[in-house]
Amino acid sequence: MSPVRWSITASGRLPAYLALGGAGLLAGLVLGRPEAVIVAAPLLLAAAAGLALARAPELEVTVRLDRERALEGEDVELAVAVSALRRVAWLDVDVTPPPGLVLRRPGAAEGSVSLRAGSVKTYRRRLSCRRWGGRLVGHVSLHARDPLGFFTYREQVQHRLPLRVYPRPEAVRRLLRPAETQAFAGNEVSRQKGDGIEFADIRPFVPGDRVRRINWRASARRGQMQVNEMRPERNCDVVVFLDTFTELSDPSGSSLEMAVRAAAGLVEGYLRRRDRVGLVGFGGTLRWLQPAMGERQLYRLIDALIDTQVVLSYAWKDLEVIPRRTLPPKSLVVAFTPLLDDRSLGALLDLRGRGYDLSVVELSPFAFVAPGGRETERLAYRLWAMEREALHGRFLAVGVPVVTWRRGEPLEPVLALASRFRRDARVVRP
Amino acid sequence: MIAGGAAPSALRALVPALGLGLAAALALAPAAGQRAWLGPIGAVGGVGVALYLAGLAMPWPGALPWALGLLGVEYLVSLEVRAAPLDASAPAYAVAFLLCAETGWLGLEVRRGGRPWFGRVAAIAGLALAGGALGALLLLVAATPLPGGAALTGLGVAAAVAIAACLAWLGRR
Repeated sequence: MSPVRWSITASGRLPAYLALGGAGLLAGLVLGRPEAVIVAAPLLLAAAAGLALARAPELEVTVRLDRERALEGEDVELAVAVSALRRVAWLDVDVTPPPGLVLRRPGAAEGSVSLRAGSVKTYRRRLSCRRWGGRLVGHVSLHARDPLGFFTYREQVQHRLPLRVYPRPEAVRRLLRPAETQAFAGNEVSRQKGDGIEFADIRPFVPGDRVRRINWRASARRGQMQVNEMRPERNCDVVVFLDTFTELSDPSGSSLEMAVRAAAGLVEGYLRRRDRVGLVGFGGTLRWLQPAMGERQLYRLIDALIDTQVVLSYAWKDLEVIPRRTLPPKSLVVAFTPLLDDRSLGALLDLRGRGYDLSVVELSPFAFVAPGGRETERLAYRLWAMEREALHGRFLAVGVPVVTWRRGEPLEPVLALASRFRRDARVVRP
Repeated sequence: MIAGGAAPSALRALVPALGLGLAAALALAPAAGQRAWLGPIGAVGGVGVALYLAGLAMPWPGALPWALGLLGVEYLVSLEVRAAPLDASAPAYAVAFLLCAETGWLGLEVRRGGRPWFGRVAAIAGLALAGGALGALLLLVAATPLPGGAALTGLGVAAAVAIAACLAWLGRR
């Protein structure tokens, strides 16, 4: 609850009434006509009444949010309770939502009211969460007037109620399979042979093999004892790499929003499979989270994701700045990037060079950049598109799939393309 | 509690029209009984009404005091030209003058999206009544045959200074 300190402005009516009244009195004296005084009297009376009745309102304002966490697209309710310690002739309350939140039906406000001393009025506003992120809600503008409307009292009350808006994750059912698995049990069928339930191969019996592993049918056919080999089910380490050097945006969204939604979907999917998932936000400020598994890691990752932002920096950064434990060996790195900044390109190629299993999801910049109207502009646009194709070629040449995700498209087919490339492609070495 | 909110379009048209009607009436009333000087007096009133209209239409709040001033000047000049005795209709004119001023500023507020609330309308009505009563009282005092002189004039000046001081004190409070 906070008491309100007002900024007061007088209406232009007050000096006008005083001036006209004074002129009337003067004219009455000069001309000797009482009519001038009679005409001026009501104006002076109004001014005197306005000055006598004017009292700054005494209000206490309390702001509450119905919850502290919401999902993108959901509504939250902000309740502004105004209690009047003194009578207020006219009061209007307006809520200014922070960026990323919009007032639902702004025209449907209760409008102005008059409050008696001791009465409480609660204004309820519904805010629609349009974009993920951490927000501070509670910017309330108060606008009050005295009974005769001579004075206007304005104040902006700043309550800082935290609201965390979580990204709505992209629906991803089939995830990218890692090239290599880790030592712990999980849902991913390993390419190594060992104890497991998935059949891998048969081989000749050697002393020490368990009898239950003998494949009797194959042994009968080959005339030699054969045993089944199995593939164990293991977990894997996944690192989601967000390029936060650059962001392309227009009023309907941005490349970073796409990246965060996609990352949230992947994180949920991999953690559900009991994989260890980490995060690297590679940009003007470096952010990372070491791979871990479980529900707690999910919330840590989502909290880290909603704090993601682009910070302008000209400092050159490479992989050396990322802590070693954030990128465990044999981990699958899924990068979301618009492929626009040389620093992130260099880092990604460096990751591949160090043997990481890398897949790149390119956040297509073409949805945010339109070709110009002139011939030279269209030519430049085509050249830029060709340059980008050549860039894809650089990644493909080192065995890194680059799949383009366009705004409005589902992510799953894009990941399926990457999976297909990873299954079929072979690195061609000269 | 009385709900407010944005003014409907009918109200946006009604309040300025009411003010304009009052201004026109204030301009016509002094010119009506005039034989000599009808043109100049009518011109002053016409300019006043035109300024009032411009103030509401543009909107131009600074024009309203000038418009009201011109209407007041027209009234006083018409009385002087006629060399009329004490005008018994002065309190009614004063009430109309106050209502014209109030509806003018109310029209500007309505145009900006405001809405006259009940308390404000009641206060204007109360002020008009009180202003009329005060005008009638002043008229009664003016009609009383009192011997004039420097003392009475001095008392009038002192009253004017007292009013100014009183307003200044209220303003500082």
